[in-house]
Amino acid sequence: MTTPTERDANGRFIKNEADSTEINHGADDMHPVSKILFGWVENKRTPLALLVLVIVVCVGLFAVDVFHHRHEYLHFAEATGFYALWGFGAFALAVLSGWPLGKLLRRSEDYYGEADTVPNDVEDKQ
Amino acid sequence: MTSLLSQINPGLLLIVVGFIGCLVPVQRVRQAMMVATPVIGVIMLALADRGTSLAVANVMGIDLILYKVDSLNFIFGLAFLIASFLNAIYALHTDDRLQDGMALAYAGAAVAATFAGDLMTLFIFWEITAVSSVFLILRAGTKAAYQASMRYLGIQVLSGVLLLDGLAYVYKANGTLTLDTLGSFTSFDDPGAKFIFAAFAIKAAFPFLHNWLQDAYPKATVVGAVVLSAFTTKLAVYAFARMFPGFEILIWIGAFMTVFPVFFAVIENDLRKVLSYSLNNQLGFMICAIGIGTPLAINGAAAHAFAHIIYKGLLFMSVGAVLYRVGTAKASELGGLYKSMPWTTLFCIIGAVSISAFPLFSGFVAKSMTMSAVATEGYVIVWAMLLFASAGVLEHSGIKIPYFTFFGHDSGKRVKEAPFNMLLAMGIASFICIAIALPAFVPGFGYNWLYDMLPCTATAPADVCLASGKEIKVYEPYTFDHILTQMQLLMLAVLAFMLLKRFGLYPPERPGTILDTDWLYRKPGYGLAKWCGTVWGKVGPTMTGVAGGISGKAFDRLEGVFSPQGRLARGGLTSSMAMWSAVLLGVVMLVVLIAR
Repeated sequence: MTTPTERDANGRFIKNEADSTEINHGADDMHPVSKILFGWVENKRTPLALLVLVIVVCVGLFAVDVFHHRHEYLHFAEATGFYALWGFGAFALAVLSGWPLGKLLRRSEDYYGEADTVPNDVEDKQ
Repeated sequence: MTSLLSQINPGLLLIVVGFIGCLVPVQRVRQAMMVATPVIGVIMLALADRGTSLAVANVMGIDLILYKVDSLNFIFGLAFLIASFLNAIYALHTDDRLQDGMALAYAGAAVAATFAGDLMTLFIFWEITAVSSVFLILRAGTKAAYQASMRYLGIQVLSGVLLLDGLAYVYKANGTLTLDTLGSFTSFDDPGAKFIFAAFAIKAAFPFLHNWLQDAYPKATVVGAVVLSAFTTKLAVYAFARMFPGFEILIWIGAFMTVFPVFFAVIENDLRKVLSYSLNNQLGFMICAIGIGTPLAINGAAAHAFAHIIYKGLLFMSVGAVLYRVGTAKASELGGLYKSMPWTTLFCIIGAVSISAFPLFSGFVAKSMTMSAVATEGYVIVWAMLLFASAGVLEHSGIKIPYFTFFGHDSGKRVKEAPFNMLLAMGIASFICIAIALPAFVPGFGYNWLYDMLPCTATAPADVCLASGKEIKVYEPYTFDHILTQMQLLMLAVLAFMLLKRFGLYPPERPGTILDTDWLYRKPGYGLAKWCGTVWGKVGPTMTGVAGGISGKAFDRLEGVFSPQGRLARGGLTSSMAMWSAVLLGVVMLVVLIAR
């Protein structure tokens, strides 16, 4: 962090944009709070570890269903693993349908004339 | 003073202060007004008596009930006031008189309409919501926003006109416009029911009437989209709950509404548009619940609306903060922003898990009532559709929004964290998302706080709760089975995401325009109108020429015969006229003679 050199009329240092950016990010390009909250994301093993964790949780949830009989208003939902399979299937269906639907419905960005432009109240325009 | 405050519809105060705010040039003074007014509104609402008409005006023989609070509209009005407060904080970094003022007036119109005790008052504020909100789109200042705002305004005004039509029929049949027990419809054969249903359907963005929402909201200003997400559609949900509870068609419309946006949200690249589709999907749950119409379902719709206003606003705020800093909200251009916007990331994740209905977050305690009510009434297919949609919500709002914005492929964009006021608004919204969902360790807090405000409670049930004849029961969200099934649904869906991503089966985010049914009026419809215009432009003058020629000739002929210089006026007329008169007289006398 550099020390600001400009002072205002009252003698206080004026922080400029670049300074505050640097305060935010430091030398290694990451917000200090990010390091605390999301530093673990940076680890190369994280994706695999997360996948393993989620699989373990899912197997656990499924196992509970095997040993525990649920009471439902709709009886077919009492089948073992009904919610688990429905969730997996519904999600996969929604995502995979994106392939054909994208081909069918996607057009160029300026299909309706002028492409959606950025509103005037974003930082760069002010 | 207290009694005066309790007699005024808080929405009116918001509208008046909003309009004054448009004229206040000093930014800090204006913003102080914008933040303070909703707080005063909440105090006014807390002071108001329930169940009585608090402000009545007689205009042209019609009693306008300007302010009437009951247990159905209380929760909607409170949610609107909270949203208005959060929006004012979220807008503090901007200096836009018109936007500040109109945002407050728009919120005020929604609040005032919610507490309207008759249809005419509802209509007046219904129209003010349309007119004031259009500025939030216009202020984006782009050509696309201008065009979208005009389409938006046209459709919103159409809704108002239909409502006016409907209320005219109601007035003619009933002689009153009061919205009480008699005010709700029992079937579509009731006078005006179809018109009013159509008016509400437009504002609630029913399937095929939904395009104004996905068209306009993503083109609004950063602040505008946050403001817009809260009011119009939930006002329509309230209106349906008030006037059409238990209409079976709403169950099916609602179920369809939850499902179809899922598919659009998957392929859409503009994240504000994804959120607009998600908004549609959430409205589906509420509409479905109103169609079921049992006390549990009405509670589900109201609780869902309250929770939804907060978490949807939160999601729009987080995407808005990204748009504000980065200059785009397109998934294909974002990614890796957790490095520079950690707080925004955290709040976005809280919004995402809330809308996905993970236990301990607001969606869980709200949406489950609707699911339970649908299952209890035995609507198997509808229930399955809602369950599918629940997994769909997780896909587009729970995972797609935070993942592609803040994680995923690193876009290399390094920006500053969102301005403090934005973070504050998101922080409060996040707090509410969690606070109203926690198990009620202390009675009156946690989800109990939300449940105690619901319309159908044993102590003071709203009229609509009694209509179905079903018993009002206490709902318990945190049962072992419920937590288990919800976690199974969501975690397996998360697993599906991870596997699809790992095996490269997840469709990549691509820039583009996704066609929806608005294609019909924006391409062929517009083309037809343009073609008609061109044809008329060419045919019109020709037709005028031909018609002018024909009528000119006819006039010349008539003038040639009958004018003072015409043929009949020339010599010989007098004698022949006298003779013909004598002949006619003779014929008449002959007829009279024979007839007698």
